[in-house]
Amino acid sequence: MLKYTLKRLAQSVVTLLLVVTFVFLLMRLMPVEGYFGDRSDKLTPAQREAILDKLGLLDPWYVQVGNFYKNLSHGDMGTSSVYRVEVPVIEVIVPRVPYSVAFGLIATGMSLVFGLAMGVHMARHKGRFWDKTWTAYVVFMNAVPLAVYLLFVQLYASSLLKLPILFDKHDWLSWILPALSMSLGGIAGNALWMRRYMVDELNKDYIKLARAKGMSSSAIMVKHVMRNAYTPMAQYLPMAVLLTIGGSIYVESLYSIPGMGGLLVDVIQRQDNPMVQALVLIFSSVGILGLFLGDVLMGLVDPRIKHEKSEGAR
Amino acid sequence: MTEKTNTGSEKVMDVDPGLFTFAEFDEVSSERTGYSDYSYWKSTFRVFLKNKVALMLLVFLATLILFTLIQPLLPGQKSPTEIYNDPATSMQLRNLPPSKAFWFGTNSIGQDLWSRIWSGTRTTMLIALMVGVIEVGIGIIYGSLWGYVRKLDRLLTEIYNVLSNIPTVIFLLLLAFMMKPGIKTMIIAMSITGWLGMARFIRNQIVIIRDREYNLASRCLGTPTRRIIMKNLLPYLVSVIMMQTALSIPATIGWEVLLTYIGVGLPVSIPSLGNLVNEGRLIMMSPELRYQLIFPVIVVSSITVSLYVLGNAFSDASDPRNHV
Amino acid sequence: MNDKTPILSVKDLVVKFSLRGRILTAIRGASLDLHEGEALAIVGESGSGKSVFTKSFIGMLDQNGWVDSGHIEFEGHDIAGYKTEAEWMKIRGGKISMVFQDPMTALNPLRKVGMQIQEAVELHTGLTGKAAAKEAVEMLDRVGITNPALRANQFPHEFSGGMRQRVVIAIAMACKSRILICDEPTTALDVTIQAQILKLVKNLQQDFGFTVIYITHDLGVVANVADRVAVMYAGKIIETGTAEEVFYDPCHPYTWALLSSLPQLGVKGHDLYSISGTPPNLFNEIKGDAFAPRNPKALKIDFVHEPPEFRVSPTHTASTWLLDPRAPKLDPPAAIQALKAKYARRQA
Repeated sequence: MLKYTLKRLAQSVVTLLLVVTFVFLLMRLMPVEGYFGDRSDKLTPAQREAILDKLGLLDPWYVQVGNFYKNLSHGDMGTSSVYRVEVPVIEVIVPRVPYSVAFGLIATGMSLVFGLAMGVHMARHKGRFWDKTWTAYVVFMNAVPLAVYLLFVQLYASSLLKLPILFDKHDWLSWILPALSMSLGGIAGNALWMRRYMVDELNKDYIKLARAKGMSSSAIMVKHVMRNAYTPMAQYLPMAVLLTIGGSIYVESLYSIPGMGGLLVDVIQRQDNPMVQALVLIFSSVGILGLFLGDVLMGLVDPRIKHEKSEGAR
Repeated sequence: MTEKTNTGSEKVMDVDPGLFTFAEFDEVSSERTGYSDYSYWKSTFRVFLKNKVALMLLVFLATLILFTLIQPLLPGQKSPTEIYNDPATSMQLRNLPPSKAFWFGTNSIGQDLWSRIWSGTRTTMLIALMVGVIEVGIGIIYGSLWGYVRKLDRLLTEIYNVLSNIPTVIFLLLLAFMMKPGIKTMIIAMSITGWLGMARFIRNQIVIIRDREYNLASRCLGTPTRRIIMKNLLPYLVSVIMMQTALSIPATIGWEVLLTYIGVGLPVSIPSLGNLVNEGRLIMMSPELRYQLIFPVIVVSSITVSLYVLGNAFSDASDPRNHV
Repeated sequence: MNDKTPILSVKDLVVKFSLRGRILTAIRGASLDLHEGEALAIVGESGSGKSVFTKSFIGMLDQNGWVDSGHIEFEGHDIAGYKTEAEWMKIRGGKISMVFQDPMTALNPLRKVGMQIQEAVELHTGLTGKAAAKEAVEMLDRVGITNPALRANQFPHEFSGGMRQRVVIAIAMACKSRILICDEPTTALDVTIQAQILKLVKNLQQDFGFTVIYITHDLGVVANVADRVAVMYAGKIIETGTAEEVFYDPCHPYTWALLSSLPQLGVKGHDLYSISGTPPNLFNEIKGDAFAPRNPKALKIDFVHEPPEFRVSPTHTASTWLLDPRAPKLDPPAAIQALKAKYARRQA
């Protein structure tokens, strides 16, 4: 178990370094206007060059990478050029983290609870009315662009249910629509996953044996199939939370939530390169962290990994 | 010697005694009886055709696309970009509800919504199709090399790992941010982020074809590689490629709408479904103007839902386990 | 053999499957009697219908299959007509239990072995909780697992194939059923383990007194464990008798062919015997004797009328026209006659 965790940790670190370096290098291609801010038109070419030089952007790529990691170890990710001029990027981002994390957790929680329940319901009523109904829901969520159906959620939920569409952290009602919006896709995804998983498991030999020994279908569903679902679920859970944090860009923007996703939209629209860079790097790392945590969690839960004995069990 | 008595029914008693002689033994016909006439594609289509919903959507989608292509050639169609002015007042004919003159009404600067929608559909579909084709192309090439050339395996796996760990949203945003807005940018950005899935799939299939026992057995029997590829690999491959392409189009459309919202999508001068949805979003809170959002949304939803259902229906139909 | 009523009696069972839009008749009117306390082996080629036949006794046919007609008399009920899960739950496990072929996939990989046995205990005895757990450990001990208390807390991947099969047998034992069906229980195991498993079932049968049905294509297994043998071909039982009768006095040409195929009966220097052709396509209706096309010595009537069951002895029946008094005298192949002679000498 320990060996497994360490191995995964090492792999994750390597992947993380590769990804971060790659993204960093890729971002050297960002249009340089993004470093100058509003004064962009008023600068002479010589002034531009001076600014770029000061930022270290004219150095050879390996020097830039080196400096980047050096600064990172001090916690320095540059200063914003447009959004909050001259303010260190970290300072701008940190206050936004709690909102994204909060919504990430809530949305993942909701999508798990509703999604898994829906999936079980679909599997139990396979081929009949409820299965078809929920399938229609899943199809819609998966097919129609997120950017489209969330507009209608905002439109009709606010007019019919009188829910606020502008986020205010003190008004708990204003948390509802964004959290719901963020979870809708996840519900569909979880439902589909659970249904497929249950249908696959139900075809396996050990289920046949359970039937042959006289267990009822519902007992089999609960005691064998659903219990076995914990394991693959554990692996993908941390990833789901972390991805929700990153993927909620649209919702945060729609409801004016002061989180990291909304920030990214703003800084892209305003062309603030240092901010864009920092956020992109953070979001990229978050996925790898999720994968790693997922594998660790799975190691804790899956007995095949937990009790890793050497081959040739007697 | 034990007594042999008949425990059968009486009617066998009045049978032609001449039948109790030996028959001629035909060895060839003894082999013929065990024949199975399974045909993969026939079974796939049989299962697919049983799916009424899929068939309906197929017809619907085909009609829609045909119409989109024909629309500009029909009589009485207006230009999607021209701004129409009221001849009497020379004022722009803004925000007119659907009428005989403008079948879907006009938008906030006086352009004909009907022609804009169809023009936008053409643009978006073009982007989606190009992206789909390119994704499949790159995916197949990368995947084939990855699976086939053992020496490249480690390198290509690492590249795949790095690229796949970057959340697509972020990658897309970054790429769109870095390049100037336009159709080419959209196509390039989405192709770059989209080929990974196909590459991985192709690679897995090739590894399977090399290592699975039934393929080893075929090779032992002397089956030429071409036949192994055609009979063992291709049918499944073709079905999945078709399904992936069908499913990638709704995804591409989705990304287009999102990117346009953020501001790195297509410029306003090129009508696209993404643009139209966004324009509609801006005025969606006023009920009398809502039609400007609803029409593009209906078109987008129809296309994406149809393709999604068709893609899945075909995927289910091509799974041999469903050929029962 | 006793002439009490059989514990299970199948009459003219017909089982059909709907496959790719067509109907396949897997069991074409099979009849079989099972007597209490015996060990009956059902032998046949792959595809003869042996598994399907026994699955119909516990209502575990695949989704696309059904019992079309016929009767299965068990404990005073005709269970062939059972359709609902509630009805089958009365039979499965508690009355008739089953051991499957592949021990590697028969157990839930994510749950402890003891728990899986305990489930069976709780379902079919009145015990629950700690008492049931104890009984589960007791079962593990019975099937020959050393350190049963420790082992009960382990997971299936910590057991070898042979041991997993023992666990599956333990589960079946825990059900305390009257009939145990073993569907090719040793096919997936090593030869040495095979013998152990068969011996285990035999001993358990003596201890607990249940009836066993073995499904197998391995005549060696049959010789080892069976009291009676039923030979199945193309969905019909074509010969039934005691093991001795079927091995040393077979009457159906298919049984002759099956026995002749045993490598042990091969003569040095000559080709090994094999039955030409393949089993018939069960989508089509079969006229006459299903084996006729592959039988070099078939009678013309074999292609026209299905042979009825002929009784050779109180315990031996075979469905072949060769037993009809009007049929020409036909001696079994040389190899079979040699077997017969050897047996007769031994009896003398």
